[in-house]
Amino acid sequence: MLELRPILSALWRHKISALLIALQLGLTLAIVSNALVVIDERTERISRPTGVAVEDINTFGYLAIPKDYDKFEAFRLDLDMIRALPGVASATISNHVPLSGSGSSSGFYTEPNMEVGATAANFYTVDEHFIEALGMNLVAGRGFSPEEIMQVGATSSERPTVAVVTQRLADEMFPQGNALGNAIFRGGDDHPIEIVGIVERNLGPWPNSPIAGRGVFYPAIMDQWFTYIVRAEPGQRDAVLKLVEEKLAERDPNRVINSDTLEEQKDQYYAGDNTMVKVLTAVVILLTFIVALGVVGLTVFWITQRQKQIGVRRALGATRTAISRYFLLENLIIATTGILLGFAAAQIFNGFLVSEFNQPALPLTVTLACALALLGVSLAAALLPALRAANISPATATRSV
Amino acid sequence: MIGYYLSLAIRSLRSTPILSSLMVAAIAVGVGAAMTTLTLNYMMSRNALAEKDAVLYAVQLDSWSATQGVDNPSEMPWQVTYQDAVSLLRSDIPTHQVAMHLWGGPISVEGSEIRPFVAGARVTSRDFFALFGVDFIYGGTWSEEADSSPLQQIVLSEETNEKLFGGENSVGRSLNFNGALFTVVGVTEHWQPSPKVHDLNNGSFNNSAEVFLPFGLHRQFEIYPWGNNNGWKAEEINSYEDRLNSDVVWLQYWVQLDSPEQVEDYRDFLTAHIRGQKAQGRFPRPLKFGLTNPSEWLQLNEVVDGDDRMLSWLSLAFLLVCLVNAVALLLAKFLRKAPEAGVRRALGASRNAVFSQHLVESGCVGLAGGLVGILLTLGGLGLIRQLQMGYMDRVAAMDWTMMIAAIGLAVLSSLLAGLYPAWRISRTNPSVYLKTQ
Repeated sequence: MLELRPILSALWRHKISALLIALQLGLTLAIVSNALVVIDERTERISRPTGVAVEDINTFGYLAIPKDYDKFEAFRLDLDMIRALPGVASATISNHVPLSGSGSSSGFYTEPNMEVGATAANFYTVDEHFIEALGMNLVAGRGFSPEEIMQVGATSSERPTVAVVTQRLADEMFPQGNALGNAIFRGGDDHPIEIVGIVERNLGPWPNSPIAGRGVFYPAIMDQWFTYIVRAEPGQRDAVLKLVEEKLAERDPNRVINSDTLEEQKDQYYAGDNTMVKVLTAVVILLTFIVALGVVGLTVFWITQRQKQIGVRRALGATRTAISRYFLLENLIIATTGILLGFAAAQIFNGFLVSEFNQPALPLTVTLACALALLGVSLAAALLPALRAANISPATATRSV
Repeated sequence: MIGYYLSLAIRSLRSTPILSSLMVAAIAVGVGAAMTTLTLNYMMSRNALAEKDAVLYAVQLDSWSATQGVDNPSEMPWQVTYQDAVSLLRSDIPTHQVAMHLWGGPISVEGSEIRPFVAGARVTSRDFFALFGVDFIYGGTWSEEADSSPLQQIVLSEETNEKLFGGENSVGRSLNFNGALFTVVGVTEHWQPSPKVHDLNNGSFNNSAEVFLPFGLHRQFEIYPWGNNNGWKAEEINSYEDRLNSDVVWLQYWVQLDSPEQVEDYRDFLTAHIRGQKAQGRFPRPLKFGLTNPSEWLQLNEVVDGDDRMLSWLSLAFLLVCLVNAVALLLAKFLRKAPEAGVRRALGASRNAVFSQHLVESGCVGLAGGLVGILLTLGGLGLIRQLQMGYMDRVAAMDWTMMIAAIGLAVLSSLLAGLYPAWRISRTNPSVYLKTQ
């Protein structure tokens, strides 16, 4: 039934061409499967929940033109004005913006006067509206009350007595789950900071850093580093961005305002990962395409070369299906050889990527899925020429003999 | 002879337009992918200070904590503390030396129609321009005094001068920066090194400074740098003075040492400095400092990061697949024309002649592939510029070297790809084909 022997002996006569196609398929499998794990990892990274209302938030900052500018007074007037604007859901002031790539971090301890073994975490200084304004989810305890908010200068040594932390920090520092009500300390310090609330999640300013997700919020306003974080009602973000910018400039023209959407800042932060995803996707598509072209090219060539033989076979009674099947089977043999080679190559290539570039390991299932897909592509590419081969008339056999 | 081969090659390629364009496409795509990533890597690893590479050194001091070193390839902080920078500036060994950091503020000119804008600033000691080879269009650097006492003098970049004063000689004019009146003392020529080798802390491909300010202004303006601040110690900081005397690192330090003796002397000087600090209870770690040339500095700071290098490996593998593809297609094409080669051989062409003729044909495919490949590379770089949202604009661009390299790569790879098929066809036995004609 299956013409394996004639196929194999015909292939043996074209071993170099066959091997070249197999080699292509193998290399493609190695590249594509490794690219897919990287794409998968990066996509997951980008789409991870951030814990904040990325799509509704705008941020605003300003630099005062006069040297002695009462910033605290300006904060109060600005925020009161912003909160009264139509379309604004909530607003806060913070030293840093999550997902922006710019922030502060510090080491924290569960015991006083410690110097080693700190848990590093991002920290923010915020006013009492921060949970609302960032669109975070309070899972335990409380937020801050207006009386708790301190005003601190850049060199002020006043320290907060309370803090809100993220669930991840709470879990890591207090694995027994008793974070709420307990105190954390800064290094070499015996000043307790009581945890009064826990928010579900906040990835922090550097989502790709190992400390992402660990966050500490202090009830304080700082005049050295500050940004207004304004959450708009759903769908109103862009209108609010323009409005707030205008009103800020109008309220006091003696400053330079800068503004941005949080989404833009997030996109900027992930631009590198996004580039990897897009470039690798392009590589996967192009490679598959090129390999398919190679298969088509070679199958067409072989068929033209063997036109006479095909005619003879047809004349001797072979059906059209038998002819097509012959070429598909031939392709299957080549592709399987290539994919077996590719399996080994994929593992070797992955070993190199893991050790050299810290990329994720390649699961066998991914290679297997890619292998099946490539097999399909190879067969599909051979299909059209194989069907056309079946149309070769038996008369060709008689023509030039 | 080559001319004849060329005309043969072109005729042969035109006789099989589909197969020929497939081959050109395969080479073009491979070259396009490879050149996109190679161009990125090439541009990212450029060294703007190459001319002075042997005499410039980035200075690092290991002032970190006894219990924990710094987690970076150099195992030392990238930057130095203010107090160390001030002490180092007192040395008279280096030809030039610079302590500096990033800052910024609103800038405006009285009576001008230009709206105030925020200008990125570099607060630096006066040798900056001499050390990094930045030339002046007008004026020059500030007086030596301005590096230790608060003289409100400012140097503008060419672009800033264009924006504020329409490009005219603005030396002596005054402007408002950060709420204070400054006098312009100089205007530098366009200077935009990419990567920004002199300060790799906040984005290696960001813009360079728009204005330059003297090092003596810190106390007057209580300057907090816009760049990185890193500390390790639990320090009580209650005033700006405390901050200046803290162990927080936030300044970059560079020296120019022209002779081996100077390097030797400077090493002794740094050793003595650290010993002196140790005596006062600072520098708890084993004595260590770094003097690194710009080229090594770029590598140490991993300006070309893992992702970039991984992409270049990947695109080379991609090119390999395209090459294997081209070999298969060339083989198919040449074998199809075997009867012609047979006739040529029978008419007396040597094997070498047949071989060269086919190699020339592969070369033609490569040349065409290279030209299309350049277009694809330009497209690929455009895509990267867009995906990187402006950050890579200066890096994701092709210069003449890379264009020539693209053609070279394409021709070389197609010749490599053509070797076996051409050899194979030159070995065919003419009699086989003559028989069936």
